[in-house]
Amino acid sequence: MSEVETLDNMISITINGTEFRAKEGEFILNAARANDVFIPAICYLTRCSPTLACRICLVEADGKQVYACNAKVKEGMSVTTDTPNILEERRAIMEVYDVNHPLQCGVCDQSGECELQNYTLELGIDSQSYMIPDTKRETANWSSILHYDAGLCIVCERCTTVCKDMIGDSAITTVKRGGAVLSKDYKDTMPKDAYSMWNKLQKSVIAPSSGTGETNCSDCGECIAVCPVGALVSRDFVYSTNAWDLTRIPAVSAHSSDGSQIYYEVKPTSIADRTPKIYRVTNEWSYSTLDGSARFGYDFENAGVSKDKEAFAKAIEAFGKAETIRFNSMITNEEAMMLQTLKEEKGIKLYNPEVRAFQKFLSYYNDASGNSLYTTDTDAIMKNSDFVISVGMAMRNDSPAMKYAFNNVQKMNKGAGLYFHPVGDTLIPTFGKSIESFVHKAGLEEASLYLILDLFADAEKLPSAVKDYIASFKREEKETIKEKVIKTVTETVVNADSGEEEEVSKKVTTMEDKEITVTRNGLIDILGNDSSKFDAIFEKMMKKKANFSLMIGEDFYYHKKASNLAKLIALIEATTSIKVVMTPPKSNALGVALICDLDDEATGYTIGYNEIGDFRLSALGDGDLDIPAFNQQEGTMISISKRVLPTNAGLPYGGYELNDIMSELVSSLDNTIDWTPLLPTAKGFKEVSFDSLPNSYTNEGVDNRGYRLSVTSVDVELPVVDKFDESDVLEGEIAYRCNPARQFNDFTDKANQIFETFSLYASPDKAESLGDKVEVVFANGTIELDVVADEKIKGDIVEVPDFKSAKDVYSLFGESRYQTVTIRKV
Amino acid sequence: METTLVENLPEVTALGVIIKAIIILAVISALAGFGTYIERKVLAFMQRRLGPMHVGPFGLLQIAADGIKLFTKEDIVPQNANKLIFKIAPAITAATAFIALSSVPVFPDFTIPEMVFGVTIPLVGGVFVPSIASDINIGILFVLGMMAAGLYGPLLAGMSQANKWGIIGSARTAVQFLSYEVVTGLSILAPIMIVGSLSFVDFNNAQAGGIGSWLIWQQPVAFVLFLIAGFAETNRTPFDLLEHEAEVVSGYATEYSGMRWGMFFIGEYANMITVAIIASIVFLGGYDSSYELGWLMIILKISFFFFLMLWVRAAWPHVRPDQLMWLCWKVLMPIAVINIVVTGIVIMV
Amino acid sequence: MSLEQFKNRTVGTQVYKTLDLGETPKSGMDRFKQVVKRTFSLELFVGLWVTIREMGNALFGGNMHTVKYPFEKLPISPRYRAIHDMLRLLESGHYRCIGCGLCEKICISNCISMDTRYDENQRKEVSEYTINFGRCIFCGYCAEVCPELAIVHGGRYENASEQRAGFSIFEDMLTPIDKLNLQQEYDGFGAVTPNADENIKKTPLAY
Repeated sequence: MSEVETLDNMISITINGTEFRAKEGEFILNAARANDVFIPAICYLTRCSPTLACRICLVEADGKQVYACNAKVKEGMSVTTDTPNILEERRAIMEVYDVNHPLQCGVCDQSGECELQNYTLELGIDSQSYMIPDTKRETANWSSILHYDAGLCIVCERCTTVCKDMIGDSAITTVKRGGAVLSKDYKDTMPKDAYSMWNKLQKSVIAPSSGTGETNCSDCGECIAVCPVGALVSRDFVYSTNAWDLTRIPAVSAHSSDGSQIYYEVKPTSIADRTPKIYRVTNEWSYSTLDGSARFGYDFENAGVSKDKEAFAKAIEAFGKAETIRFNSMITNEEAMMLQTLKEEKGIKLYNPEVRAFQKFLSYYNDASGNSLYTTDTDAIMKNSDFVISVGMAMRNDSPAMKYAFNNVQKMNKGAGLYFHPVGDTLIPTFGKSIESFVHKAGLEEASLYLILDLFADAEKLPSAVKDYIASFKREEKETIKEKVIKTVTETVVNADSGEEEEVSKKVTTMEDKEITVTRNGLIDILGNDSSKFDAIFEKMMKKKANFSLMIGEDFYYHKKASNLAKLIALIEATTSIKVVMTPPKSNALGVALICDLDDEATGYTIGYNEIGDFRLSALGDGDLDIPAFNQQEGTMISISKRVLPTNAGLPYGGYELNDIMSELVSSLDNTIDWTPLLPTAKGFKEVSFDSLPNSYTNEGVDNRGYRLSVTSVDVELPVVDKFDESDVLEGEIAYRCNPARQFNDFTDKANQIFETFSLYASPDKAESLGDKVEVVFANGTIELDVVADEKIKGDIVEVPDFKSAKDVYSLFGESRYQTVTIRKV
Repeated sequence: METTLVENLPEVTALGVIIKAIIILAVISALAGFGTYIERKVLAFMQRRLGPMHVGPFGLLQIAADGIKLFTKEDIVPQNANKLIFKIAPAITAATAFIALSSVPVFPDFTIPEMVFGVTIPLVGGVFVPSIASDINIGILFVLGMMAAGLYGPLLAGMSQANKWGIIGSARTAVQFLSYEVVTGLSILAPIMIVGSLSFVDFNNAQAGGIGSWLIWQQPVAFVLFLIAGFAETNRTPFDLLEHEAEVVSGYATEYSGMRWGMFFIGEYANMITVAIIASIVFLGGYDSSYELGWLMIILKISFFFFLMLWVRAAWPHVRPDQLMWLCWKVLMPIAVINIVVTGIVIMV
Repeated sequence: MSLEQFKNRTVGTQVYKTLDLGETPKSGMDRFKQVVKRTFSLELFVGLWVTIREMGNALFGGNMHTVKYPFEKLPISPRYRAIHDMLRLLESGHYRCIGCGLCEKICISNCISMDTRYDENQRKEVSEYTINFGRCIFCGYCAEVCPELAIVHGGRYENASEQRAGFSIFEDMLTPIDKLNLQQEYDGFGAVTPNADENIKKTPLAY
């Protein structure tokens, strides 16, 4: 989202006689919410398309009854929210919602957070005028985490809406309920909108769209979050506690680089065991969307740790002789700063294979473009962009935020998208009608950027060498097309009557072959698409598009020609209107990249910080010294949106932490969070103390969490880019380093509700040919894995996960995410 | 005045006096304990309660339980107290009370038999035990004097314990005891004038002529005055200002615990008995040694006075210190003086 | 009951007698007269008479008021608030508690806690329930808030024991299954009011 509100697109409207400012083109409901005016609405979700299921947001705009979630504001519009007719409709709607709703509020998991209850009280429903025989609706488990109680469901369709418009899985939909037919008498006697809403409600219920009763989705649980009643609950949470007993601790999701806002909801484990336990994770679902790792990967705390003086002394000794510290991106900015201090003061090397490549890539990009960081972010894309291009990432797996943005743009901004990736994906094309996916061969990433230059660049700005290079792929082709030709044929016919010959002319339509000359773009063919059809499709895609974004993925950082890719990206930014966003590989990769000077390799005695090493500091509870896990720590981390976000300790921790080691080795501050103001301002950090960091959203949905890194930009000359080499293409059996969705690291693996295993993921066909278990032979090692079929993968490339640090998959893959391998059945 | 009675008796030996002293100590101490039981029972009945019920039949062994409690309780001496005086003070109260009893007739005299069931009793066999341990001929003066000396117990206790309530308690002690000493003395002067002796035996003999010869009929005013003053001297309701809980916590006894406190208690009950005995002998004819049950009569009289003290406690509220002083100096003393003058005039006429 | 009546918290019959205490003496002479009057009307002996009369009544008139408590007990009011009872459904014998947690929430001394879980019959099951009687102030809010009339106050007021835990176990508070027929409904806070039926608005049902 752009931070600066432009004043020129603000208009004034009147709601209930008071004048307010609103953004042009906004829905009345959102304008009201932004101005703190309450209009009841059950089915509407900010950032998603209006469903019109509840009809309770009925208002009168300029004398006409409209739905506030669906009608846009106009200059000078006068809105009334409470005419007698509207109040009557609303009351009838709420009464209808209460018809046959089970009176089991005492045990319902929504326990007081119920919107049905709230609106029933808000609208003062104290009696019931309607009735209909109830239908038995069965409780069902849709997946290993989703529990659906159809009896409680009010079919507001928020779950289906968020799944379609935000998540992109479209895994659930409304189906026929088979309920009793509404008495015709009601049509005449009850308010119109209430009747039609009831008519629809009585006919439908929610079910998985696959038709099998299983959702088969990414298990993000966002449907649980948006459910206004207790119909959708996670299976782990059902009847385990009341919502009001839980203490909310605001935090940041630890696993992906989304930096999603979450609340840890904490309560003692049981009557006998009073140690706090996280019962669930919730979020401000109107403004932020979680993925499965954020919502369900919360119980990874390092429990039952006390101060082990002996281990601590050994740790100090180990730090004394250490040459290298190996760590990953699961670390707060403050602790990264401590490690950097250790490097500066003790000369210890910092080795981080997860982040190093990203850090290098950022510096290449910085050199080539003059921007200190990438220029846009996922929030802004969702808000503004209408054309998104994804390159170099398995979007479904690498970055939920990117996936949601890509999908949301298709649904909400009538957008279009291009998806370049060697691993085919069956889900992404379903996001919208205007999506073209390019399943190219691994190694052709540069070609994709050249194609983008060709499609979007302002030709005048392009250096002539690049222009010529792109032109070299264009070829003129003769093409034979059939054409309709109308000819006038003159014939001499003998008149039968007169016997005379006379000339008769008539028109004849014939199909004739015609040769025309067309320009074919060879790049498109190289990238695995059909150049003969693409032009027409692309022309359609570009209609009414103004705001372009480019999403860069992790493949680029682990690319032989990363430097050239960075230059190409800089060139794209300089010559097109495309804005760029990059995915930090995992949790706080961006923070580590900015704070630490990382080294290329680990040498000598190595200390592993949640990683392998000669002496292991581990928050998993299996190391030589225990350290707190991310949900037991205070500190800041940087999200993909370039925000420095504060996170809080959800659970207590009784052992030593890095700060204690720092105090022993070099002088340190009292608390870890005392390091927050010391983060390097040269890299865009601000000198702000942890406790003064804000952590909220406004009613308009403006993200006020932490602060935004300041990004500097200097003018540089256009970078000189290299041509790409088709011989770089990998052939044969290819393995791709990629985690299943929801798995990011050892901590998500430790979480009880994340079931994805450490296995080889392949398309169903490929999986069948591979059998149950395989050995994958790399150039520098082998790994044995079970084979799991993923219906959403297409093609022959197999995915090898890296979330278990003990397996050291990074070493197997080396400098690239793609490797030619030999796969043997075991 | 000569008394024939004494001369007919066997000789009083030192051994006999010692035995008598031991008997008094043992019996009166026990009676003090028993007195608490009686007091609790009587008060309870008057308030329609049952009183102690659970230790022994009818709660009779409550005394034993209380005794065990008192003996085994921790003996606390406050840090800032004058420790020597603090420890001595209860002993003064108890001692003066018992010393006073040495010159009043308690129980009839008897001779320990030489043989019981054919067994010779060694040492004490055949010893004569007198009625009065020390039959001095100024018995009344001695008793009044000893009771006055008893004032030192509460006075020193209150002043030595370094406690404000104690100080107030001892101040009240001094004021109350000294004032009512006057009334006691003056009220009993009139009967003394009539009898003309300070010996209890003489008083007893002077009233030997049956109920009609009791001094109470000649000196009703003196009797009432003496009774009121006796209540005050023994620190009983309605004049229990020395240790009145509602006002001064526990007065002079605030810091005392265990058996030291118990000794104040024993002293108080011994004094009650002493006062009851004096009143019985001086005004109600005393004992009648002319027949076997004569001694029973004085025990009944003493018991009546004892019961009266409890009865009064159950019925009446206590008075304020200023009312106490007002009563003493403005009412009782003038009446006592007038009584003496009138008695004198009557005797002279 | 109207609000005014509800707010009147003065209890009892409210029939009071005023004692005639007479004039307070003002001058010295008045005071002297009062003393004389009181002395010669023998007011003191009235007090003595009253006490001795009561003693006689108590001892011989059978008018002794002492209740020998551990051996004799007075009946307690049904609204008395002692150790809680957990009631059962009369029909099925299943405990009434549905694990809604309202008692836990409303408890002002924060002494109730419960663990619940999803059971095999897809119902909410109370797996653990305790009341910390070291903290409980027997205010009765839990019984008042309970929507199922499940937790009520019982008459078990003799609470001396070596361990408080002894009387806070759910099973101990629960009506024994064999004594279900003796289970009493509670009349105290939270009980159904006699006119409850009049106050309920009917919900139309289609079957």
